[in-house]
Amino acid sequence: MEKMIFGRYIPGNSFVHKLDPRSKLLFVFAFIIVVFFANNTLTYGILLAFTLIVILLSKIRLYFLINGLKPVIFLMLFTLILHLFMTREGPVLVDLGFMKIYEEGLRQGVYISMRFLMLVFMTSILTLTTSPISITDGLEVLLNPFKKIKLPVHELALMMSISLRFIPTLMDETDKIMKAQMARGSDLSAGPIKDRLKAVVPLLVPLFISAFKRAEDLATAMEVRGYRGGEGRTKYRLLKWHAKDTIILVALVIMAILLWMLRG
Amino acid sequence: METVHKTQTFKTVDLIYSALFATLIMIGANITSFAPFLTVGGVPITLQTFFAILAGLVLGSKKGAIACTVYMAIGLAGAPVFSKFTGGFSAILLPTFGFIVTFIVSAYIAGKIAETYKTRLAYIIAALIAMAINYILGTTWMYFAYTLWAAAPEGFSYKLAWFWMIPPMPKDIILAIFAGFFAFRIQKVLKILPIKQS
Repeated sequence: MEKMIFGRYIPGNSFVHKLDPRSKLLFVFAFIIVVFFANNTLTYGILLAFTLIVILLSKIRLYFLINGLKPVIFLMLFTLILHLFMTREGPVLVDLGFMKIYEEGLRQGVYISMRFLMLVFMTSILTLTTSPISITDGLEVLLNPFKKIKLPVHELALMMSISLRFIPTLMDETDKIMKAQMARGSDLSAGPIKDRLKAVVPLLVPLFISAFKRAEDLATAMEVRGYRGGEGRTKYRLLKWHAKDTIILVALVIMAILLWMLRG
Repeated sequence: METVHKTQTFKTVDLIYSALFATLIMIGANITSFAPFLTVGGVPITLQTFFAILAGLVLGSKKGAIACTVYMAIGLAGAPVFSKFTGGFSAILLPTFGFIVTFIVSAYIAGKIAETYKTRLAYIIAALIAMAINYILGTTWMYFAYTLWAAAPEGFSYKLAWFWMIPPMPKDIILAIFAGFFAFRIQKVLKILPIKQS
C-alpha cells in the first residue's frame, strides 16, 4: 500500500531530491521545449551530456529509469524504423535489394529516438525524485497567477491531495467488496462479455455508495474544523527556494542559448 | 452541509465528491487487478473511459470535468493511477495520453446532456456521444503526438491512426451503453442530479 501513495517516487537524499519542486517543475517544462532546439550532432551531444549530468546528480539507479522506458519503447522503435525506411535522402548505406537504407534516414531515426529518450529520462527523474504531494504543493504555487482568470488553483491542489490520500483506502474497499460478494457465492468466473459486465454491478454499486458516503463524512469533518476555502489558509508543508534552485534554472537557460547558437 | 462561505467558490462536499471520483477512475482503470474475471480472451477490459463518462453523468458537467482533471493531474504527479498502475510525468509523452485529456471534455458534455434531459435514454445517448468524442479527439491527439514526438514522415497518415482504433470499438460501444444504464441507476440512489423516471 505504501507503494500506492508514493507512486513512482523513490526517497533519497541526492542533489536533485533536495531541489524545490517548483524549480524542478519549471525545469522540466522548459526542457521539453529546449529539446526541440537540437538538430545536429553537436547540439544533440550537448543535450545528451546535460541529461547524463542530471541523471548522475539524481543518483537514481539506472534500473528505475529503464523501467520508465517500458511503455514508450514501442514508440521509440516505431520511430526509428519509420525513419530508417521512409526517409530517402543522402547516400545509400545498406542495399537489401527490396529496400534501401539511406544515411539521412539513419541520422534522423537516431536523432528522434535520442530526443525521445532524453524527454522520458528527464520527465521520469521529476517523478522519481519528487513525491506526488510535493508536486501538488509546487503546482499550487506555480499556478497561482492563473487565479486571476478564475482558475480554482487552491481547490485543485486540495482535491489532488485528497484524491492521493484515498487511493489506498478505496483500493482496500474494492478488495473487501469483491471478497464479500465472492463469499456470498456470486458467480464471477466466466461467460460472454455481457454476463461479465453484469457481474461487475454488485461490485461497483457498493463501491460508489461507500465512496460517496465517505465523501460526505469528510466534507462534514472539514467544515466542522472550519474549512472555508483557500483564502488566508496557512500551510503545513512549506516550500523553500535555495540557491541551487536558481543555479539549475540558470544552467538550463545557458544551455538553451548555446543550443540556439550552435544549431544548424 | 449546505453552508457556503463567501470566500468559497465550491461547496466543500462538491470538492470532495470530485476528489474521490478521481480516485474511483483509478480503480476503474485497473479493475482487472481486483476483478480478474474481466479479462476476456487474454485482453483485460479497462473501465477507465467508462468511469470518466460516469463522472460526468453522476456528478454533472462541472464537477465531472474537474474529477477528470484531478485524475490526470495526480497521474502526471506520479501516482500510479493510469491503467496498469502506471503514472508519472513521462505519461505526457505517450501518444495515448490524449485520451486521458479528452476525458475532461467527454465528462463535461455527458454531464451537460444528463443535466438537461434527465431521462434514462438521455443518459445512454450522452454516454455514447461522450465515447465518440473521446475517440475522435483522442485519435487526433495520437496522430499529432506521432507527428510531433516522432517527427513521422509521410508514411504515417491520419487514416492509419484510425485504423488502430477500430478493434476496441465494439467493446467500447457496449461499455458506453452500460455506462448510461449504470449511471442512471446510481443517480437514483445518490440523487446528485435530478432525474426523470420514464
